[in-house]
Formats: sequence, structure tokens, C-alpha cells
Amino acid sequence: MAESPAFESPVSTPYVSYGGVPIEPSGPGSPLTLQDHSSTTKFIVRAGSETNAFRQLSTPFATSRTEDGVLIAGQRPDEWFLVGREQAVRALAGRLDRTGHVSLIDGTHGRAMFRLTGAGSALVLEKLCGLDWNDHMTPDGAAVSGSVAKVTCDIVRNDLDGVPSYLISCDRSFGQYLFDVILDAGQEFGIQPL
Amino acid sequence: MTRLPAQPGEVIDRSRPVDFTWNGQAMSGFAGDTVASALVAGGVRVVSRSMKYRRPRGYISNDYWDPNGLVQVGDEPNVRSAHRLIEPGMAVEAQNVWPSLERDLRAVTGLASRFLTAGFYYKTFMRPAWLWPTYEKVLATFSPGGRIDPDTPHRYHDKRYAHPDVVVAGGGPTGMAAALAAAGAGARVLLVEHCHRLGGHLLWGDEHDRALAAELAAAVETAGVEVLVDSTVAGRYEDNWTGIVQRSHPVAVERLVKARAKVLIVAPGLIERPYVFDGNDKPGVMLSGAVRRFVNMYAVRPGSAAVLFTANPDGDAAAIDLERAGAEVTVVDARRGEGIVRALGGSKGVEGVVLADGRRLDCDLLVTAAGWTAPTSLLNMSGDRPVYDEAAARFFPSVSIGNVLATGGLAGDGTLDELIEHAMATGRLAAARARAVSHRLQAATARAVPVNGEEPEWPVDERPDLARDPHPALFRSTTHGVVDFSEDVSSKDMVGAAAEGYDSVELLKRYTTATMGPSQGKLETVNTVAVLAEARGQTIAEVGTTVWRPPYAPVTMGALGGRLFEPVRVSSIHPWHEANGAVFMLAGQWIRPDHYGDPAGEALNTRQNVGIMDVTPLGKLDLRGPDVPQLLSHLYTNKWMKLAVGSVRYGIMCGEDGVILDDGVTGRIGDQHYMMTTTSSGAATVWEWAENWLQTEHPDWRVHVTPVTSGYTSINVAGPKSRTLVRRLVGDVDLDPEAFRYMQVRTATVAGIRDCFMWRIGFTGELSFELHVPAGHGLTVWEALLEAGEDLGIRPFGVECQRIMRLEKGHFIVGQDTDGLTKLPAVGMPHLLKLDKPDFAGKPELTWALDDTSTPVLVAIQPTDPSVVPDEASQIVRPGTDEIIGRITSSRMSPTLERSVCLGQVLPEVSRPGSELTVVMIDGRRITARVMEHHAHIDPEGERVRG
Repeated sequence: MAESPAFESPVSTPYVSYGGVPIEPSGPGSPLTLQDHSSTTKFIVRAGSETNAFRQLSTPFATSRTEDGVLIAGQRPDEWFLVGREQAVRALAGRLDRTGHVSLIDGTHGRAMFRLTGAGSALVLEKLCGLDWNDHMTPDGAAVSGSVAKVTCDIVRNDLDGVPSYLISCDRSFGQYLFDVILDAGQEFGIQPL
Repeated sequence: MTRLPAQPGEVIDRSRPVDFTWNGQAMSGFAGDTVASALVAGGVRVVSRSMKYRRPRGYISNDYWDPNGLVQVGDEPNVRSAHRLIEPGMAVEAQNVWPSLERDLRAVTGLASRFLTAGFYYKTFMRPAWLWPTYEKVLATFSPGGRIDPDTPHRYHDKRYAHPDVVVAGGGPTGMAAALAAAGAGARVLLVEHCHRLGGHLLWGDEHDRALAAELAAAVETAGVEVLVDSTVAGRYEDNWTGIVQRSHPVAVERLVKARAKVLIVAPGLIERPYVFDGNDKPGVMLSGAVRRFVNMYAVRPGSAAVLFTANPDGDAAAIDLERAGAEVTVVDARRGEGIVRALGGSKGVEGVVLADGRRLDCDLLVTAAGWTAPTSLLNMSGDRPVYDEAAARFFPSVSIGNVLATGGLAGDGTLDELIEHAMATGRLAAARARAVSHRLQAATARAVPVNGEEPEWPVDERPDLARDPHPALFRSTTHGVVDFSEDVSSKDMVGAAAEGYDSVELLKRYTTATMGPSQGKLETVNTVAVLAEARGQTIAEVGTTVWRPPYAPVTMGALGGRLFEPVRVSSIHPWHEANGAVFMLAGQWIRPDHYGDPAGEALNTRQNVGIMDVTPLGKLDLRGPDVPQLLSHLYTNKWMKLAVGSVRYGIMCGEDGVILDDGVTGRIGDQHYMMTTTSSGAATVWEWAENWLQTEHPDWRVHVTPVTSGYTSINVAGPKSRTLVRRLVGDVDLDPEAFRYMQVRTATVAGIRDCFMWRIGFTGELSFELHVPAGHGLTVWEALLEAGEDLGIRPFGVECQRIMRLEKGHFIVGQDTDGLTKLPAVGMPHLLKLDKPDFAGKPELTWALDDTSTPVLVAIQPTDPSVVPDEASQIVRPGTDEIIGRITSSRMSPTLERSVCLGQVLPEVSRPGSELTVVMIDGRRITARVMEHHAHIDPEGERVRG
């Protein structure tokens, strides 16, 4: 989490879908949920293949893995997201060898991030994004970028206890719109905000 | 016409009566009834009027394709009544009739039908040209289609993407069998059925047929096949991209499914073909399939005295069904050489038929079973050109397409078992080919599950060939009749068109509009070709077919549009703006406060006290690396190699054509760390522009460009009291004018928020501090500024105020005061053009542009009458003439100067200070104005901003 004072999320409550339908939040255990994770610390690392940082990150393009509680996602061939608790992310970032051309940017404030979880989450994404969300094309751990409801997003499939789950991040200014749109798309599957 | 006792295969639920209206009259049916079956059960025989001659029409095919069954349902036009299920309270009306269906006065055109042949419109309404608007109004009243209510609320149309292994188009027995086999072989299958339930022709067949349909449908369900009923594969495009319109959905009125099928199986079955003869469009003339559906699925007897002209077993089966339903049936068997020549009857429908042997039979139902059309549309869209088989009297696929496979009636004939065997082989082949495609896709996609080994060999097509049953070639009798029921085109029209020279099938189609109506050729294409072949004295094979293009069936605009997504961007302060009376404007995708009720007051306050503005949309790019100066020097026209840490510089970017692309300031925050700002609308363009140079011409430059526009909430604190205000919230930066000078940048802690940076620049022309705060705390800082500045007279200001103030100061806006031709020398900033640099984007063009004296330049303009504000884009003309020599690019009434202020582009010859200009106002008046010495109307020396 970002430092105090309290982080101001791009998503406001009460929740209203893109179509204008008010939606009550649910508790844990709902079969399909959307949770605002915008306050989660997100660092952007850029490093060329010739750098030690590249080797340290050890996460090929389009894949992700977790190290010391930090999700490392290879979003582009020379760009990674480090996502997790602030202390853990800073610790991992601090261990990176910055020799050579390596950039480290705190993207926490610039990126909205949501977690879409549930067996039907791929069905929600199918309504918003033209990518193939089948397991063999986008397995757990896959990192991908694409248009979601006309907004460029970075998406990491990050299943929770075997339940399909997707971390969707976009430019912060689109955050409210995207959250509402996902709620709208998920209504037919019983989506509820957490 | 009678509702029959319960039929073994009926799909209606007699326990659920449904009331609706037909042309305002109360009607009733049962749940499961189509509008057509309920109307016919209620005694309705005439449901529409033909497009051109306004002839009364009844149902002919009683299915989705029925050209005579288009009706208005509530505010929805062109509803296919032989497909749409009735609902309680549904208001159904005949469409495009006046004053009523029974007495359509425009039927008078029928009296002149001999003169209204094909091409009549083209020939008649050409002259005189000035009458065309009148012609158009009259002709429009004859155009088909229902009534559109512009006040109809938008309904929820939806969109979905799918990536199945196999899409099966057609949910009849072979489609289901193919889907089952493909699923059994491990494929993910999407089965699409046009009708409301799976089963195809088995649904109106005998007990054995219905049992098989139920068995296959149950197997499909348990096999995990995804089934879309009441859905149509509307088109097949490159790489098996198939567009599927799903009409029945729990939340959407329609959904367009964009499916990327690895293999497409085409199994639409066959469509029964009408027979062409005099009177073939009279109400009560029907196809055998229509009759069987009425009787067996909806328990409706469409007539009591039937003559049945048949050439195949389906016609024979219809005769049996009608007899079982209590109708008297007379069979005219084409296989015995018998024929029909003319249907008799008036406006209420068929009353009899004249046979080829001259006999006349009375009837209220004339049924034809003359053969089949193979709906090869999806194969056409895949590159196939079907060929005609004379013995079978229909078209068949001609080429093998690797990822598009045909089965069922489209591929051939045989017993049901043989057809199902072929379909299952097709399903297995499709699954195998889908595996090969999938292997290729996974191998090429970084995020996919890795695949091992070589790509599998492309599975060979070893399916057994289906036989082709012989069928009499029955297209037209000895008389002329209607060929295209949708477009009201007769065989006589076609013969005439061919005689006029429109004797290629593609020309004939366009000249007569045959096959171009709502049926999209499903009923009429083969008859069109046959009539033309006859007229040309050729065979059908020699004439060939037209090309069937998407859509397979008409698609609504709503389905094509899908869910309307309009992304909007807001800053972190947006909730405050909403709560505090901001009047918003849309700037690109950004929703921004235009003002808070009094833009002039906001400007005055900012000039006198202090104002704050949310400038978050200002584009921001984080630049890191040792070669940033090289990049900046290349992008901007001025020099950047020696920018000191803590300094900010203004620059203009030009394209390679020398035209101004964007402008902004860039500050050096650290040794290898810079922050670039761009115009709000130019952020994405500049990012792409920078990446373009880095990734193509200069991959050796070590620079990382990261867009961070939304990462910072940007707040412009402007006004003579701005320093006092900022000092109250910033403790770790010396704000003394000598310590923190104009065009410098500092990192700071603002209102307790760390990692902010601020720079001293001034677009408004006032002493200004631009604060960039981590966006997650933007609202905190905004509210802290308002609170801390209360005693200083602080007020927020919006975009309109900013535009007034920047115009007073003479700052131009890229895209408003410049255009797609404006090069740097035209904006009066020669100090920004450093041609002694080795290279930069646009240098060659700008070198040339320095000598150009023909293109307009930007100047400040002052109307002689200070109370007059010419509209932006008002033309500037040479005095006494209409010769345009410039235009006003920006104009406002200045609340500070209490006079109008303008910027404009004028030709160089009138750009000197003091030059007199003539401005043409929107209302045509001409006013005089003069060119000012400086762009700036206020503080041309810049003392305020440097204060």
C-alpha cells in the first residue's frame, strides 16, 4: 500500500455500473467479484537484455511469477510490473542491479488496478476484449496487454487457489470508467464488487 | 385455417395462452407460437403488401426467410413474423400500408404494372433533374420497411468475442452430429442454430425424426457443446473470423459474437425453392415445408382444400400431413409429367389453380414442392464458387477449403444415417484440423501454454462422398410469375432486362434488384439464374451464380454497433469538481471543468489574487537515461544539450514536414531524469513520436520514455498571491524569487505529500507554480490549497478562464492557433529555431520555410471597436474584396482589459504591426481591426510571470 495519508482510489462508491445500475458490494465468497486494488504498490521496471536486472527479474515476456510476495509480470519485452505490498516491492526493487540502462518508476499512482475473480471471469473479459482467454492460450501466470472496452490495459492471470483471477490495470484516469464497464459486463454472470 | 387438436410434435404450450393484437384487433395464441402461426390459426391470410405493386401477400415459406412476413412489432420494424415468437401484449401491425392492409390505396400502381418493369425508376425519374427532390419524396412512400420512431430508447445490444476450436453453422441433424463428433474428439465447439431450437427439418418430421432430434440435442447438451439458438452466422471473413448474431439473450436484445473459429463447419441444410408461375404470390400459395411446419410444429391447418404440386418426398409428406389434419388434398405430381400453370383468386387469396392439362381445381391452399436451394453463402464468403449439378438441380461446393468444411444437404444426399455419418466424419476432421491450428497459434504466442514437437501434419480429408439424388429441374411453368418476392421482381421483368442487354447474372441482379432484398437470395437466386439461362438459351451452369457476400441474413445496426463503449478520463479531483458546481466540457476523452459559473470572474480573481486549476490532463512523459538530451535535441527545434538540473525549457516540436506537432516544457529533475509536458491532446502523439525515433532511427540512444500523465495530479497555482499560498504548504523548498526562478523545477513535499515536483512557468501570464502531486493524493493537496488560500481570495478556475488569460498573454495553442500547415517560422518565435544544430526533426523543411513569404503568420489582432468579439474562424479579407487573406484563430472579451483580444493568421504582407484588417463576421457584417505589435495584450515584457 502507498504511504499515508490515505490513498485516494480512482473508483468512487457507491458502485454503479456503466449502464447506470446501482450494485451492492458483496462479501468474500461471491462466485464472481471485482475488487479495486488501485492502492497496491506497482513499480515499473525497464531494463534491456544486456543488464543484470534483466537476468535478476528472470521473468520472460508475457509471463509472470511471484518472488517474496511480489508479483513480477513481464508486460513487454523490456518492461516488468512489480506488484505487491509496498515494503516487499521496494525491497525487491532495491535488490535489482541498476548497472546499465535500467529505469525504475513508481506506477502506483498512475495505474488503476482491479482484480476480477471467479469461474466466470473469462466470460466477462470475452465481452470486453478480443483476446483468447481459453486456458491453453492464457494460462495462469500469463501477462498480456490489450484493449478492454477500448482502454489499453495490462492484464495478468493470477489465479487464487485454483479459481481464475485476473489483475487488470489501466491508466488511472480511465479507472472509474473501466471499473463501471466491467461491472456492467459482469451483471449477467452475477458479478459483485468486493 | 384452424387450430388443430394437439399434434405429437407441436412446440406450443397450450396451458399458456398469449394475447396480442394484429392491426389493433385482439388475437390470441399459445406460448411457443410464432406471430405467423398465431395469425394463421386466427384466420389471417393476408399479412403484407408487395413492395412495388402492393399486391396482397400471405406466408409462403413460414420460416425466417419468408419474404412476405415482415411486420411492425411496437416500435420495431421489419420483424420476421414467421420466426418471432408471440409475447403477451405484443402489438403487431402490417407495415407500409395506407390506409389499411385490406385497402392499400397505393395498390393502384398494380394497374400500371405493365409499365413498371425493371429499370422503370432509372428511366423515368432521370428527367427533368430539378424534379428529383419531388420524385424522391413520392418514391420514399413506396420504400419497403416499417416505421422508425426516433424516440425509441436505446436498447442493450451486446458484443462478445469467442475463440472456439470449431464453429458449426446449422443445428439440424448433421450440424448436431458434426458438433458431437468434434466435441468427442476434444474440440471446444460452438453450435449455432438459426431457429429457436435444435433439430432442423426433423422437428416437423415424423415420430422417428423427432425422436432422433431429441436424442441428438440431449447428446449435444451433455457433450459440453456451447449452443446458440435463434442465432445466425452472418458472415465468414479472413482467418475464419465469423460474425454471429445472437437474437435471444437474457440481458441483451441482440448480441454480436465475434468468433475466431479454427475450423468452420457449414451445415445449414437446404432451403425449399418456390416455383414460378402466374399468381404464385397469392396468399395461400405455400411451400411444402411451410405447410409441414404449420401443421406439425404449431398445430395449424393453413387451408382446408389443398392442391399440392410435388416433385419430391417432402411434398409427398406434406400431403400426408394435410390429410391427417383434415384437409382435402389433390396431388399434382411433377414426376408424372403433371404441372400447374396459374393460380386463381382475388385479393383475399388463392381460390383455384389451372393445371397444365387445362383442368381447373378449386382450392384455398396451393402447395409447391419444386426443389431445393443450397445456401452456399458461407462457402462463397470462404472463396468457393459453387457449381450447378443438372441431375440434382441444385448447386454444390466446388473447391476444398482447409478450415471450412461443408456437410449435410449442402454436401450431398443420402439416407439420414449416411448424412449423419458424413457429418460425424466432418466433425472429427474439424477437430483434428483445429488441433493443428491450435498448435501453430500456441507456438506463436508467448503467453500460451508451450507446445512440444513439430506442428502436426494437416489432416487429410478422407470423408466418404455423399451421393447426389436426381431431382426434376423445376423452376418456371409456362407462365410468368414472381421470382423475387422481397423486391417484387417477376420472371417477365428478368426476361425484359436480359433483352435490354442486362444479360449477365451480376448485371441482372443490380438492374432488377433481384436477390437483394431481405431474403438475401435464399429463395430466389436459383430461379433468377434459371430464368436468365432460359432467356439466354443457355444452361444454368453456363450462367453461373451471383456471389453471395456477407451478411448471410440482414443484421440490425444495433447488433453491429454492439455495446457502445465511450471511455472517458477524469482526474483525481473530479469528485470535488462535481460537488462544487463545475460546468464540464469534454476535451478529447477528458472530462474537465470548463468553469465554475463565472469564467470572467475567475480570470479577474486570478489576476488580482490567486486561482488554482486542475491541469492533470497536461501530458507528462518521464524520460530517463544518459541520452535524453540527444532525444530532446532531436524532437525540439531549439537546443537541449546543456539544460541544467533544476531548469525548465520551453520547446516546439515539428514533424518532418516542419509543421508544428506539439509544444510544452521539459524540466531536468536529476542527472539522467527529465519530465516532459505536452499539450493535453498531444500526449499520446508525442509519446509515439519519441518512441518512433528511438525504435527506428536511434535504437542506440539509451532513453526510457514512460507516460505518467495520470500518475500526477497537476495543479496550476496562479496569481500574484500564489507564492504566498505555496509557501504555506511547501516547507522544503526555498521559494524566494532568486532561489526558485522562473523556468525552474524543484522536487518538493506539498501539504505533507512527498515526491511532488513543481515548476515555475506561466501559461496564464501570471506568477505561477505548477504542482505535480502523486495522483493518489491529488485531492488532498487540492483541498489543502483551497483551505490555506481562503484568506488570499483563492478561487478555482476552469479551462475557459485559462483560455481567456492565455489569450490576454498572447500564448498560442497548438491545433487552435496553428493548423495542419503551420510551420514554426509562422508563429513568431525565431529564437526557438536553431538551424545550427546538426539535425532535428523537420530541419530540412524548416530551413526552406524560413524563406517562404506566402504562408500566413500568427499575429495579435485588435478590433477597432473594442466591444466586438469576432467569432473564432471568422475570415479576414482584403478590404473591399472577398479575397481571404487570413482568419481569427482565437478571440475572447478580456475581463482585465475590458476589450476584445484576438489572435489570428494573416498573410505576411498584412502582418506588420498597425496593418489594417477587414474581418467578416458570422452575420456578414465587416469590421475593421489592426495588427498589434506583440502577441501579448498583457505584460508583454513578462514581468508578472517572472515576479
